[in-house]
This record gives sequence, C-alpha cells and structure tokens, in this order.
Amino acid sequence: MWKEIGDRESGKLRPNSFISRVRSNRASSLQLSNHKEIVSSHRGSINSLQVDLTEGRYLLSGASDASLAIYDIQRATDYEAGGLIAKHKPILIDKQHQNAHKYAISTAIWYPIDTGLFVTGSYDHHIKVWDTNTTQVVMDFKMPGKVYRTAMSSLATSHMLIAAATEDVQVRLCDMASGAFAHTLSGHRDGVMAVEWSNSSEWILMTGGCDGAIRFWDIRRAGCFMVLDQSQSQLGRRPPLLDQSTTKVDFSINTFSARAPQRKVGSGSSSKHSGNNKILKHAKGSAKQRLHPGLLTSQDRATAHYGAVLGLKATEDGMYLLSAGSDSRLRLWDIQSGCNTLVHYEVVRLLSSKAIQLAVTQDSGIVFLPCMTSVKAFDVWSGKSRMTLQGHYENISCCYSNHDQELYTGGNDRQILIWSPPKLMPDDVDELDGRTGQPPAADEDNWSD
Amino acid sequence: MEISNNSSTSRKRSREEGDSAPESHESDQSLSLEDNLIFSDTMVALRMMRAQFPHIDKVTVEPFILQSQLYSSVKDRTQVDRELESLRREKVLRVFKLNTGQDDHALMFMEDYLNQMKRAVKSMETKKQGVCVVFEWFEVHVIHSKPEPSIGHHELCSLLSIGGKVKDEDISLLINAGLLTRQLIDSDMYWFAIPNIGSVLKGITQGRKELLSLLNRKKYKEMMLALLEKKRLRLSPLDIRFHLRDLLGSGHLKTIQTPSGLVIRAVKN
Repeated sequence: MWKEIGDRESGKLRPNSFISRVRSNRASSLQLSNHKEIVSSHRGSINSLQVDLTEGRYLLSGASDASLAIYDIQRATDYEAGGLIAKHKPILIDKQHQNAHKYAISTAIWYPIDTGLFVTGSYDHHIKVWDTNTTQVVMDFKMPGKVYRTAMSSLATSHMLIAAATEDVQVRLCDMASGAFAHTLSGHRDGVMAVEWSNSSEWILMTGGCDGAIRFWDIRRAGCFMVLDQSQSQLGRRPPLLDQSTTKVDFSINTFSARAPQRKVGSGSSSKHSGNNKILKHAKGSAKQRLHPGLLTSQDRATAHYGAVLGLKATEDGMYLLSAGSDSRLRLWDIQSGCNTLVHYEVVRLLSSKAIQLAVTQDSGIVFLPCMTSVKAFDVWSGKSRMTLQGHYENISCCYSNHDQELYTGGNDRQILIWSPPKLMPDDVDELDGRTGQPPAADEDNWSD
Repeated sequence: MEISNNSSTSRKRSREEGDSAPESHESDQSLSLEDNLIFSDTMVALRMMRAQFPHIDKVTVEPFILQSQLYSSVKDRTQVDRELESLRREKVLRVFKLNTGQDDHALMFMEDYLNQMKRAVKSMETKKQGVCVVFEWFEVHVIHSKPEPSIGHHELCSLLSIGGKVKDEDISLLINAGLLTRQLIDSDMYWFAIPNIGSVLKGITQGRKELLSLLNRKKYKEMMLALLEKKRLRLSPLDIRFHLRDLLGSGHLKTIQTPSGLVIRAVKN
C-alpha cells in the first residue's frame, strides 16, 4: 500500500490506475463491518434500500410493515464500546402516519436530483411522493395492481417521469411535474417485476417481466425496440466485427418502416438464417391485419429467462446489463448487440417470490447477488464466485453498494447490515474515549462470524 | 456405435487406452469418480461421459449428457457455456430442454440423436402400418437448419412445407412420436424432445431424490466418495456416478478434499 503511494507520488503509477486499484482491493475484502452498525427499527422484512445519489449520505429503506426509515450513514448518532462502534439511528415514518401506505412497501427511491423528495411504491397499489423535510405526502398515484418497482432516471434533464412496474402487464410512466400519467408501455405478457433506466440515455427504459422477457423501450416512441433473447449469444465481451455489421443493418431498418422487421427468435450470428427469418416475418405481417409498427414486438416471444425476471442492474458505463431470473440464473447481456454473453455465474437458488435488488461496484468488477440467506459476490467477466457474505438470519432480498465500497443488505430478519473493508488504523480511539460509554447493548450478540 | 457392452462384468468402460483399461474388465473400481472428476476441455469431457453412459437393461437409449454433469466436470463454467454454444452452432451437438427440473438441459451428439429418432420413427411406422413422409421432412429440413432447443409453430410449418404440403395431423404425428412437445407457458411454441426417454427421465428425478435423502439422513450429511460410489440406487436404473456428477454440477452436493480422499456433502439451503 505504501509502495503504491510512493509510486503514485513519483509518477510511476498513473492516478487513475492507482484509484481503481485501491477501489478494487477494498471491494474484494468486504466483511461484516466492525466499526459501523445500523439500528434498524423496522418491524417487517426490508424490501428496498437505496443511498442517495447526490451526496451518498442518506440510506432510505422500505419495509413490509409499511414503515420507511432514513439513516445518515456518514455521521453516527452515537457511539458505544468505547467509541469503536458507530451506531446510526433512523428518522422514521411508520404506519401511524396519516398518509402512510397500508400494506408492504416494495420500493423506496430518492429523487435523483436532491434529497428533498423520495418516491415509494407499495402493495396497496399506490405510489407516493414524499417531501423529506416535512415528511408529508405531496403526490399520490393510483396503480391498477401491486407496485413491484419504481425507477427514476438519474440522467434526466427534460423529464421527471417515474416508471412503475406493477403486476399489470403495462408499464406506466407517472409524471411528477404534472401529477398525471404520461403514457403506458405495453408489450409484456405478464406482470413486470423489474424496471431500470439506462445509464447512457435519459429516454431508454429497461423492464423485466414475470413472463421472462426483458424489453428495451424508448419512451419517445411506441413499443419496445429490443427484446433480449437468451438464445442469441455472443462469445465474449464484444461481438465479432463481421456479425456486428449484419445485425446493425436490422437495427436501422427498425426505426420507421411500415414492415418493421423486429428482432427475431433465431440464431443471431449466422447471416444466412437472418435472411430466411426476415422473409418469414414479412409474410406474416401481410397475412395478419396491419398492426402499428411499434406494437409488432408484442408478438416477439423471446425470453431472457426460463422463469420470471427478478432483478435488473445496468453497469455504470451503460454497456452491459445483468439480469437475475427465477430459473436461478444470473445473465450478463451486452446492451449494444442485445446478446447474451454466456458468462456463467454459479447460483444455486434464488428467492423467487419477491423482486431482488442487485448491486454492482463502480468499476463493474464485482456483482453482488442476494441468494437466500447470503450475498454472493461474483466477478462480472469470468463468473467466478469471489466471496460469500453470510450474516443474515433469514432470506435477503436487497443490497446496495455505494461509491465508498460499502455494501448494505436488508433481509427478512428486519436487519440492515453493513459490509465494509476492514479499517486500516484505529485512529479515533483516543478522541472518543471521553464520550459516554454506555454498557454494551444486547444487540452485540447479533453478530455472527 | 461407440458404447459397446463387450465385457459383461463392467458397467462402464473407460475410453482411455492405458493401464486402466485392463483393470476395467475385472471390476468398475478403476473408473472411480475421484480420479476422473475434472477434465480440461469440454469436448474431452463430453466424449468421456458419453462413453461412460450407463447401460440400462430394458430400454435402449442413446447416450446423452446432462448439462449439470458437464459443469461438475470442467472447472470453468463460462468456458463450458461458450464451447457448448460453438459446438451447437456447428451442429455437432443438440441441446434439449428437459422437464425434470427448472434449468435441466440434455446434450446429445448429432449422430446419436439421429439414431434415436430413426428408432422412434420405425416403431411408430410399424404401429401405424404406413410410411409417413413428414418424419423425413422433419429430419432434413427442421433438424438440420434449426440448432435451437425450441421452435415456433409458424416456423415449423414453413420449414416442413419445403418438403411438401403440411397438415395439422402431421404435427400431431410428430408430437406422438415424441419428437416435439408443446410448451406449457406458450401454446404456440414447441420444444424439441428426445423420443422414448421417459423412463430414463423418471429414473433421473427419482435417483436424485434418493441420493439426496441418503446423504441427508446421515448425521453430518456427508459420506466418503469411495464408499458412495459402490452403492446402488433402488429407484433409478442409472449408475450412481451419473447422479453424482449431475448433483455436483447443479450445486446440491459439494466435494471436500480430506487427507483420506474426497468427501461428498449435501449442501443445505
């Protein structure tokens, strides 16, 4: 470590590679944090966790007892054990609140621009927008079914749309500026469990449904422009250059032709088959009644998983998408070509009744997947399992990693655990000796490992 | 056919020419799973497992390999997936989705599949007392041009009609012969299937359950591999090594290296 700092100082090591090396070292040495703890006062299993995107300071969690909590993860509320363990207490909103949700909260996300607002979605068919400072509901949207996930684009400069994934087959976009629904995206054939905005464009939305399909939507147009098919695969990170040229041709024709040949179910790499299939689709199009070109993809029945799609996560550079399905597979997709990169992550079983939240480190090196009672960390490109983080007593459904290489996981045992790289030096021990040293709470027995 | 059952005593024969070959005639101890667990290459693993496919008394079925067996035999699973994909595209192998579990796939070499298909077609034709030309169309047009495990109704009809006029009864003939199965979720799509392996699939599911319950009943849920290999499963006609590779690959069992050899433990979930 010191040698690397010396190299950086003398110029032997470039600053960017120094930063990425430190970050990946920290991310691969995660363990249950021994200097930070969150005191969770939820009475139900925790369904959603998110740290705000602007400062990385506040953690928002939503639980099944309709309670919400916000934790300040950078400043501890009090210390114990002689100043070694920082405890963070929440600012809580619970069921007694007059406008609170009635049933379980399945998703709670911050407004991406600042921490003044947050959006929650619940199984009581409502999506509420809250003002953080006054803890009041400012907007309420009623959905036709249970809300599984909501998402807002962090890149958006011209719209304030909340994408809502519900058990209804249509994905609805709610406009926060006007309080009305903007439009609906139809194409899925069963409820939608996962929704994510793209990290490269403010107009592109990715949804994963219970029918196993992952669809890409451009919200300025009707219909989806890409459906991911697990049988279309590429061997490696990039599609070979020759194939890229043949598939690109299909892509551009898609935009505004009456006979839009959509992505087909078939081997995507051999060009002779693509010609064959295009003719088939043309013939089919003329035989049926004229459908709007945007809705032709509703007939595309390609599936990305053999079961429901439980969680989606795009890498930070916006080029790859990770999807977890109830067939206990985690797949990595190349967004540009729409192909399965065939990286195999060794997953035995996934909790398939709820949507799960995946987390990826900032340099897209490690993906964290909650598998039953532990979190498995996989190397994104090779699929090997790096670590298994075991600490919860019951099943885990959400995890979130912030830019500080810390991982937060919430599970059915109502606890939020923090996993962080081991602290290098006990620097603040002397200063904090003077603080109140309360007798260690019985909570300490909650540690395992 | 490569899997010939020359020696009546040994149930599986190793394909390796070497000092292990003469021993195999006496007993099947030499083919211990412990020595042959991990292979270097997918193709080598496939050929080895094909040769070791257990011989079942009542049913003659061509050797097939489960994808989970392949995962336990080669270290890098991503490499396995990619090599399978390229083999599938080259039409050396076919992949079939089985209904025995959530993500079960069976791999069969093309020659074996065509032999199995011919056998099924022949038995079908003797039953119906007539030659049905749709099977030929199926083999020539559909199998050779579509390497995927599933096919849509329209595509199937259009590919079959390259041979001649297709009626709905022809598709029912194909389903009755066991070459196609309707998908449960989507009535417009079919899975390709291996005909006449129903009893083997039943053996697979029951054998898995029996092996897992055998280990779960033990105090520490583990057993030495050398001892486990010698057991015979009551409910499954397949060899225990078949089931061991399959369960190791799907993650229900794991191996632990001990000073006295490998130990198999049931993973609790």
